Amino acid sequence: MTQNSRRVFLKGLSLATVAALVSPSLLLSRESEAKAAAVTGSGTDWKITGSHWGAIRARVAGGKVVEIKAFEFDKYPTEMIQGIIGLIYSPSRIRYPMVRLDWLKNGHKSDTTQRGDNRFVRVTWDQALDLFYSELERVQTSYGPWAMHTGLVGWRQTGQFHTCGNHMLRAMNMHGHTISTAGDYSTGAGQVILPYVLGSTEVYSQGTSWEVILKESKTVIFWASDPVKNLQVGWNCETHESFAYLEQLKNKIAKKEIRVISIDPVKSKTQNYLGCEKQYVNPLTDVALMMGLAHTLYTEKLHDQQFLDAYTLGFEKFLPYLLGQGADKTAKTPEWAEKICGVKAQQIRELARLMASGRTQLIFGWAVQRQQHGEQPYWMGAVLAAMLGQIGLPGGGISYAHHYSSIGVPSSGAAMPGSFPLNLDPGKKPKYTNTDYKGYSPMIPCARAIDALLEPGKVIDYNGQKVKLPPYKMAIYSGCNQWHRQQDRNRMKKAFHRLETVVAVDYTWTATCRFADIVLPACTQFERNDIDAYGSYSGRGVIAMQKLVDPLFSSKTDFEIFRGLTQRFGRDKEYSRNMDEMQWLAFLYENCRKENGSKFPMPPFKEFWAKGFVLFPAGKPWVRHADFREDAEINALGTPSGFIEIFSRKIASYNYADCPGHPVWMEKSERSHGGPNSKRFPLWMQSAHPDKRLHSQMCDSEPMRATYAIQGREPLFMSPEDARQRGIKHGDLVRVFNDRGQALVGAHVSSDFPKGVVRLQEGAWYGPTGPEIGALDTYGDPNTMTQDIGTSSLAQAISANTCVVEVEKYKGKAPAVTAFGGPTEVMPK
Amino acid sequence: MKKIWIWLRNLFCKPAAKIGLGVLVTVGFIAGILAWQGFNAGMAATNTEEFCVSCHTMHQNQEELKETVHWSNRSGVRAQCSDCHVPHDFTDKMARKIQASVEVWSHLTGKIDTPEKFEANRARLAQNEWDRFKANGSKECRTCHDYNSMDFEKMRETSREAMRGAAERNQSCVDCHQGIAHKKPEKTDARNPAFDGLIQAAGNESVKVGGTYFNVYPRELYLDEAMSKVAGKLEVGAPVKVLQEKGDAQQVEVSAWRKSKGFGRVWYGHFAKNITVATLEKAVAQDKQLVKIAESKEDPNTGLIWQKSSATFWIKKGEVVASTDPIWSVAKDSYKNSCSVCHKQPDEAHFDANTWPGLFGGMVGFTSMDKDTQGLVLKYLQNNSSDFKKPSH
Repeated sequence: MTQNSRRVFLKGLSLATVAALVSPSLLLSRESEAKAAAVTGSGTDWKITGSHWGAIRARVAGGKVVEIKAFEFDKYPTEMIQGIIGLIYSPSRIRYPMVRLDWLKNGHKSDTTQRGDNRFVRVTWDQALDLFYSELERVQTSYGPWAMHTGLVGWRQTGQFHTCGNHMLRAMNMHGHTISTAGDYSTGAGQVILPYVLGSTEVYSQGTSWEVILKESKTVIFWASDPVKNLQVGWNCETHESFAYLEQLKNKIAKKEIRVISIDPVKSKTQNYLGCEKQYVNPLTDVALMMGLAHTLYTEKLHDQQFLDAYTLGFEKFLPYLLGQGADKTAKTPEWAEKICGVKAQQIRELARLMASGRTQLIFGWAVQRQQHGEQPYWMGAVLAAMLGQIGLPGGGISYAHHYSSIGVPSSGAAMPGSFPLNLDPGKKPKYTNTDYKGYSPMIPCARAIDALLEPGKVIDYNGQKVKLPPYKMAIYSGCNQWHRQQDRNRMKKAFHRLETVVAVDYTWTATCRFADIVLPACTQFERNDIDAYGSYSGRGVIAMQKLVDPLFSSKTDFEIFRGLTQRFGRDKEYSRNMDEMQWLAFLYENCRKENGSKFPMPPFKEFWAKGFVLFPAGKPWVRHADFREDAEINALGTPSGFIEIFSRKIASYNYADCPGHPVWMEKSERSHGGPNSKRFPLWMQSAHPDKRLHSQMCDSEPMRATYAIQGREPLFMSPEDARQRGIKHGDLVRVFNDRGQALVGAHVSSDFPKGVVRLQEGAWYGPTGPEIGALDTYGDPNTMTQDIGTSSLAQAISANTCVVEVEKYKGKAPAVTAFGGPTEVMPK
Repeated sequence: MKKIWIWLRNLFCKPAAKIGLGVLVTVGFIAGILAWQGFNAGMAATNTEEFCVSCHTMHQNQEELKETVHWSNRSGVRAQCSDCHVPHDFTDKMARKIQASVEVWSHLTGKIDTPEKFEANRARLAQNEWDRFKANGSKECRTCHDYNSMDFEKMRETSREAMRGAAERNQSCVDCHQGIAHKKPEKTDARNPAFDGLIQAAGNESVKVGGTYFNVYPRELYLDEAMSKVAGKLEVGAPVKVLQEKGDAQQVEVSAWRKSKGFGRVWYGHFAKNITVATLEKAVAQDKQLVKIAESKEDPNTGLIWQKSSATFWIKKGEVVASTDPIWSVAKDSYKNSCSVCHKQPDEAHFDANTWPGLFGGMVGFTSMDKDTQGLVLKYLQNNSSDFKKPSH
């Protein structure tokens, strides 16, 4: 993002911000307004806080947040910080504890087909927590731990103390045992396959420093990676330091000092920013392209046999497959690859030669592993890198995460603050110690959570184990939006009919709340005090998250909510260790300070809190896998053999048809560009991470949404050619659909997209016209159309990107958007 | 010389002839009172805050104290220098005052007359006080903090467990509470303090020759009894068989598995499981006299040949324990605390021993564990993995 474009953007946004300034007063409850006025008077106050979008200073006047600017250290702030006011004062905020109408009448025997009709009754906090607690009791005593599902927590609001998952899980752990989940939605396939291949999950590992890449690489390949879009957000408080390096990369490209190629069906934000080269590839066919590259490297003797001998195992078992001497008798020549991946054979050869001609850094994104057989592109990428023989060299080798948080920014080495404890304190036991899971597995691979409801007791393969899916009866979601991240909404509706009780704790009325029974209003992170790491990987510092305003409406911090719950079984003091918010912050901070000692001096807590941050000096540049390359015996990889495993005997021993012992190209269940089902549904729909949200967070920020929505709907990006063929113009309302679902969205026609490819960004809020199966989604959640299948028997991760659709101009009267604004409040009869 | 002696003898032994006995007794009595008063005043004066910080060496100490609860608290009780650093009963107090003259000397001669010099001596000075507190069971602390007067029920959950145990053992306060009134000195070898407890436990272990013991801290293996030739490194949790003890050294047999690919430097605890127990120097690993190979087997999961090997080395005495329990208990705490910051930590037996290094290595960057603790936690996870235990839910 250039300075210029940011300024233009901010100008545009300031109008929207004015709109946001007018509305909040109408949303504030009288009580909190009075409180706020008493505390701050009519004075003006600048405070500092952190967020996934970076550190900010916020001006509070008259008890309201009225202005936000980036923290001075942040030289590349994201435009999304201007959406924060809209997030705090969103009309979708949960104002009071609420219970679904029929559940309030009939409890766990309610008519669950009404789920999603959005009719809720306001209750008091005491009523809500009593109901919550009595359900915990009922499920633990009448079923046992197999019936209680504590949803995996994802991108919670930031803050180490208030981190909501820890609060929910600590409280649940005090009560009894539950069903937990394995893996996550972002990197499910990658984090399972790569330990077998490179000996580490890689997806969350620090990578070679950008400055080393800038200095040493001759060629950089961004493979389905869009750092300029994705580095706007971070797991903790983001520093945006990576953008300084991307700016240098842009300058080097302009001066032709480096070759940078983006391999992607779409012209990405990164490509547009860098002005780099593009290599188109048909969607979902990256492995075929890689096979063609490997075939060229081998047959033209461009591969590094010495490296393969010294650092890898099993290349000889992979070769027959590559050369056509295996069971399929098909050589993976560039000509073979061309037919699948749509890249000319000659171009494949040239790309292979370019990669082998000098230092080449491969940088993968996560999108290619969020598809059926998502393990394969990552494994084959590692094989390519091994054949090039540059793993462990500065500016060479492979990375799977340079688009994530501050990866690539050298780590300072300082310790970051710990968090509120998730576990029970030493020696403590839960109220219910029952661990009888009735033969069900106590753990579900997270993406198979819906299978567990629809196929009770089914035994599935997972990473060399057998998992018997538990048909849980009650689920608790805290600060996570299950109805955004999980695939196939209509399948979810069916599955949720089988749940007796669902509890959702959040600050905003997501679809997960809509499909829940008991909804508890947490406050936003801007309404509580906290501390956070500044730079998840760079460890740049510690940031104070000073409360901007008091909790809005009847909302409370997660700490208060779960303290209230544990009070109901007499363990609130144990839960809180009898400390309040500020005591906890001082405790976490001082522990961190102690750990850092004199190496990274930190001021005492009071001084830190008043100043708002402490920064640490930059770390030293670093090269991933350099230690392994230097001494592969002592610094062995975490693979079974300690070497890079091109063939994994361990995986082969599982006998999975969908994940054999070495990487292979496999056709997908559906695929555009001539693949299965492409006649009926010719368009590939990618559900990439959004550009102006963090997953589903901030979709509810009205001023932010106004900058990208089309006729109030989520934009569907599509090529001019596809639009023309269907009589669609930019700005039209269109219906996107397949056999699984349908959504009403706004056409955003852009030449960044090739024919046959559409993008509906994930995290768009689900807004069905009603609770019935197949109902039209009025806003445009891509997971209304995606399919809910595992990547393979190995990782059982999500396959959201294996999805084809058709698009048509919408002609009828468009139903209103139902995704935002909370529930229909009804009075019980 | 002799005259003076005689005069003195006369003065003390001969009855006074010119002054009345009553006068003498009275004057003597008053003089005694005055002297005692003066002595006491001196004693009291040297016990005041002002006296202590009058030499600026101590000024910094007071500033540090001012930040703590011992200086300012809601009950308005203040502990000043002497409350902690000077014994309260007479004899000990005298002894301490005499000792303290050395400190005055140090100050006057300029041994620690600047903050920098004080900082350089901080660890030594703190150790002196800790030793004193250890020896007297933290007597000065306990004039205010008495185990018998503690209401454990009013304590925080986590404190309660710890304090009850300490009271039962009548433990010295400084065993756990250090750096409470002044800055705790930085340790030069900055190891995770959790290891200190293990090293202490190892110090108390009575080792029997022929028994198998477990290493509590990563340290050197030597080729010779004089411990001058380094053979490699023994990992935490590694089992050794003690063959003999000589002086400060212990001769041990290390028996483990290694891969035939490479130089055989890395030794593992179990066949085909990547749980490191020792890493050897290249020449040592290749020494056929030293390393005995009992058998060779192929690992079906990788196709690599593994050799069962053994060798004898020397280690420093007093760093092994009879059971892995205390070692894994330290590791478990670290694992649970550090790995639940972002997510629920997986069950140890959720993965096998060879999968843990990949997962752990991929995530550990998020934590602030030092290298030794990382090694300890990884070995704990591997040794409690699905290869050895069923998932415990």
